[in-house]
Amino acid sequence: MSTDRIRDLTPEAFAARYDCDRFVATVLGNRLEYVLDHVCQKLLACAFSPVLRDLYDFAATLTGPPETNYATPVVSKSFMAFTGTMTESVRNTIEEYGPERLRPGDVIIANDPYRIGTHVNDVLFCRPVFFDGKLTTFVTIKAHQLDIGGAVPGGFSATKTSVYENGLVLSPRALVQAGEPVRETWTLFIDNARFAPVLVRDMQTICACLDLGEQLLLSSLERYGRPALLGAMRYVCDADAERMATALARIPDGQWKGEALVDCDGMDATEEFPIRCTITKRGEHIEIDLSGTSRQARTSINGTFLDVKATVGVALKFLFDPDGRFTSGMYRNVDIVIPDGAICSALPPEGVVFAYGESTNAMMLAILQAMASAVGEDAVAGDTGSPNVHTAHGLNPDGSLWLAVGVAGGERGPWGATKAGDADSFSIFYQANSIDTAIEVIEADAPVVILRREYVADSAGPGYNRGGAAVLKDSVFLAPAAHNPIVLRYKQPTGKGVRGGGDGTLGGVWLWQAPDDRDIAQRDTTAGSFRTAIRVAGKLDRVTGLPSLDGEYHWFGQQREWRTAPGATWRYLTNGGGGWGDPLDREAERVKRDVRDGYISIEGARRDYGVVITGDPARDPEHLVIDDAATAWLRAALRGAAPSARP
Amino acid sequence: MFGVDVGGTFTDVVAFRDGKLEVTKVPSFPEDPQRSVVEGARRLGVAGSPLFNHASTKGLNAVLTRRLPKVGFLTTDGHRDMLDGGRAWRPFDGQLNPRWRRSFGDANRPIVPRYLRRGIRERMRADGTVLLPFDAAQARAELETLRDCHIEGLAICLINSYANDAHERELAALAREVLGDLPISVSSVISPRAREFGRASTTVIDVVMKLLYGDYAHKLDAGLRGLGFTGDLNFADCTASLLPWRDALEAPFKILFAGPAAGTASCRRLGEAIGEPQLICCDVGGTSTDVSLILRGESFTNDSFEIEHDLVISALSTEVSSVGAGGGSLVAVSDSGDITVGPASAGAVPGPACYGRGGTLPTVTDACLLMGILEPRGFAGGQLELDAEASKRAFESLDTPIPLMQRVGYAYQIAINNIAEEVANVAIRHGSDPRDFSLVAYGAAGPMLLGSALDTLNVKRVIVPPHPGLFSALGLLSTDLVFSDSRSQYLLLAPEAAPQIEKIFDDMERKLRAAVGDAAANATIRRSFDGRLLGQTWETPFVDVPEGPVTADTLVAMGTTFHAEYQRRNGLSMPMIPVQGVSYRVQLVLPAAKAEFPRLSDPPPGAKPVPIGTRTLRELSPEPVEASLYAREALPRGACINGPAIIQEALCTTLVGPGQRATVGELGELYIEKSEAA
Repeated sequence: MSTDRIRDLTPEAFAARYDCDRFVATVLGNRLEYVLDHVCQKLLACAFSPVLRDLYDFAATLTGPPETNYATPVVSKSFMAFTGTMTESVRNTIEEYGPERLRPGDVIIANDPYRIGTHVNDVLFCRPVFFDGKLTTFVTIKAHQLDIGGAVPGGFSATKTSVYENGLVLSPRALVQAGEPVRETWTLFIDNARFAPVLVRDMQTICACLDLGEQLLLSSLERYGRPALLGAMRYVCDADAERMATALARIPDGQWKGEALVDCDGMDATEEFPIRCTITKRGEHIEIDLSGTSRQARTSINGTFLDVKATVGVALKFLFDPDGRFTSGMYRNVDIVIPDGAICSALPPEGVVFAYGESTNAMMLAILQAMASAVGEDAVAGDTGSPNVHTAHGLNPDGSLWLAVGVAGGERGPWGATKAGDADSFSIFYQANSIDTAIEVIEADAPVVILRREYVADSAGPGYNRGGAAVLKDSVFLAPAAHNPIVLRYKQPTGKGVRGGGDGTLGGVWLWQAPDDRDIAQRDTTAGSFRTAIRVAGKLDRVTGLPSLDGEYHWFGQQREWRTAPGATWRYLTNGGGGWGDPLDREAERVKRDVRDGYISIEGARRDYGVVITGDPARDPEHLVIDDAATAWLRAALRGAAPSARP
Repeated sequence: MFGVDVGGTFTDVVAFRDGKLEVTKVPSFPEDPQRSVVEGARRLGVAGSPLFNHASTKGLNAVLTRRLPKVGFLTTDGHRDMLDGGRAWRPFDGQLNPRWRRSFGDANRPIVPRYLRRGIRERMRADGTVLLPFDAAQARAELETLRDCHIEGLAICLINSYANDAHERELAALAREVLGDLPISVSSVISPRAREFGRASTTVIDVVMKLLYGDYAHKLDAGLRGLGFTGDLNFADCTASLLPWRDALEAPFKILFAGPAAGTASCRRLGEAIGEPQLICCDVGGTSTDVSLILRGESFTNDSFEIEHDLVISALSTEVSSVGAGGGSLVAVSDSGDITVGPASAGAVPGPACYGRGGTLPTVTDACLLMGILEPRGFAGGQLELDAEASKRAFESLDTPIPLMQRVGYAYQIAINNIAEEVANVAIRHGSDPRDFSLVAYGAAGPMLLGSALDTLNVKRVIVPPHPGLFSALGLLSTDLVFSDSRSQYLLLAPEAAPQIEKIFDDMERKLRAAVGDAAANATIRRSFDGRLLGQTWETPFVDVPEGPVTADTLVAMGTTFHAEYQRRNGLSMPMIPVQGVSYRVQLVLPAAKAEFPRLSDPPPGAKPVPIGTRTLRELSPEPVEASLYAREALPRGACINGPAIIQEALCTTLVGPGQRATVGELGELYIEKSEAA
């Protein structure tokens, strides 16, 4: 790329580079984004599956033809974990299928994670768009299918030990040829996947969405022509590359290291899986080297090299270009080094891929931590760290199956603080976005009662801006049930603080087997309540049962499947979010407000913030008093001590 | 009869009497909000008018700016943080931004701070049975704490109260005892539908609205009576349906946001009058453009809407989407040199640079002035003189190598493009093609931006209605009185559910009939339900229920209707999947008097439009062009004006682009079409 900044180009130079004038490039650039918005709008309106509709577990792109090396100027604003996989997903699929075999009206699919990233449930659908007889763009959608066959309904499991338990693996092939469905590809799904009628409907919807994208693109092509459209695609990618380069140039050169942990895999608790990164930045370039990351796990918690690419992309956008578009151009000045056979770059058949999010969540934290000192006030503290998915099932009185997936665990928790202020306490982990199912819907659909879902005092990482608070959730199962928790991030705090901010607290999982309703009424959240519980997961104090940095580690897989009698209560406590900036600098009034609101206890205000407050927050919340003199003295004393030596 | 739409800057007043429309625009007084309404009523003479229909953004603005009364929130122990977390999702545009935070979260600007949200020990199950009994002693202690904090109102929403409201009733009775006579909103009364967060946020907003509107409505009623008004004062709800003001105050969350719905109602009425059943309604205001759709003569009604991202209000509402492009939208330059328009806006203060009120940043209105579409004099009925030099300075301040006038032209086109994409979005969402629709351009900036934008919008034609600047207020004179109620219960549509569903409908119907008294004799009753395909987590709302008592046969029909409605909304159906009923609704409709659009009188033979001058338009075509200037009120019916032309009226300017022509219709409405499409 020339050293001229795009905004300084003369009209002639701009036209020479992008085959259109600046206005057309702007209009077409916006148009491409809107075309994809329209495609997603249709998909969300028509999809049957809650996985698409509530979890946005899909991505769509407009991708350039082979001559642009599959440049991707627009990726949908949906599931961020897909974003950075999409360019190679499409390139690998089309190159293997053979671009010369493509015809108008085709839909080419693939789902093999080692070729296209994420996991087998995510099927990529590509529609080639021809204009004037030339292959001009692709409209693509990669969408999570409810089921793809395999040993576990729906697929979510941390204990599969080989790829053959995963179900269908599809190399690139045609689903539709020149507008005609390819019968044997559709029957492959129908014969191998559960819920086939729904799957087929959703796949038909996806094909209709690709049709729409193609029509919209063709109308723009007719108006502006192929050179201008491809020029605008280059322009959008160049602009992203330039934003990233400019942002990188602004921070000092250097090398930084980061590390985060996946606690264990589904085999046993003997092996830990650290993710390590070394980040080197020179001028406008950055390298993320994952050498030193642990070997691939023995069960289905691995990811692939494309998941690494997506995670690096999201982390860099978080740090350097949070408002910009996500395009393939953002990687132009980014090099990523990935050792083969690591937990984040697993190889078949032993390196079975499914719950790829656990290692990428850890990787996200490792990168944010490594870069914290480099980016100054733009540093981002760590989040809840995992969706802590809990799956439960049992039989209805009539013998039919009920299934509660991702409703009774620690699916949503806190984010880390930033310079913008304190963090929210109830979100899904950084690389996802989803609508939380209402408790009343959950309880109408399965024999479960979400007894409480509330924030825990003093769990947020202290800071000038504090992290989000940990979420404590108690779920009572009213019928006999079998449970599969997937909890892999409880050995170290994930809510790591930045710029002097403190870490969020550790979480854990507990279980009470209870015979009657009276016990439910008496179950509370006091410290004493943990003592009597079965310890399912986390580093827990031997005596109190509370999470503790030097507690004893409990492995979630100690029972292959947890079986409970009616009235059993599961408790999930998420990790707390990390703080930003020195808590001793937090205005005493803001600390008082948090005490009033129960985010911080009076004792916590003193210990973590050096603010001395008197009063009764529970019964007289509006008459808390800050002891200014005592606060000044205590803060001075705490400042004198090294942060690590503070009480 | 009167229709009044109170906005943040202006209060629009329309009166219809003896077949004629009169209009006026009064500046709003945010500190004393009923004053502008009474002033407008005085100007046009309200004495003897049978109807006074009113819509206001007062409540909505109070929520958006958080100038709110202090209210408490009680819910089931362990669930008070639902008001912080909402449905936990982030806006698509903010999801790569770690600094995005929920607008109503505790870390940002909560509506009820956490210490005033308190848990009550009790628990209902989804089937309405009691899991944990109501603990009155504990509840009393929490109420006493709230009392000692001097709350002004209280919202109550217990988990699963839609299935059994017993604990909510006990708690409300206790609250009256402890707190005395202050407004209390109870979720099972206000919005007894499943999904706790939407019900809770609606209940909180309801009690806030009670506090904001109670005093206001009494003062307004007294003020109008003082002017000799003896008719009925009605408030419009979020579908622009009307409610007698005292009934509206019983559940005032329903009147939170009526203006946009009134605009759509006005378009529907216009469509009926001119025989156009397929309309895209496009209201271009200062900061945003509201887009809605009328398909086969009907607008779309949703069961909820959001006033901020994820802040759900479970009110029936006309579906209106908004895009941040309007007359006051700011023009800027991106890092890579793109000219951008919006979503930031200069707002009412300071407003566009040309208003001369301290604005220095260029806006779309400044672009229109520099292009010659607007004239410095006579803007907003002569209330404001525009400063073209200020507009020029504002555009010059942009850091870009693009020549000045080209910046202006780009800004204008990009604003139109942004609106056009939202139009496409709305159409696609309903499986429609914009080319099958006429677009109604209204709002103060609508006709100047959209009149000439036929190609970009890709619609059949653009219609500029009479009084485009006050068109939404006109919608308040075009709807009926609607009393409504709803209940939730998850019931598979199997024959054995018939008695249960019939009882739900019948109870609601009896209650509504009792509420309206003798008038019930003239009422139409509409029953509908919201259902879902088993396995889905969302509902398809407003599926018609056949008339007569619900029987096993009715349930079969309800299932069939559901699949047909699913097909209509989504373009496909899944008849193999069973349907579950979720919410059941009854509407009792009482017809209200409505305004008619006055017809233009017969033109004298040989009447022709006479230009009153010319104006030079820049940047619409490669070279500047001379446009003829017309006064709209002088245009005879059937007149045809070839573009480029400017048609002016007191509060609005319509641009007819080169290669287009405008025809004057029966009601004075303008049809803008391509010239060759004759």
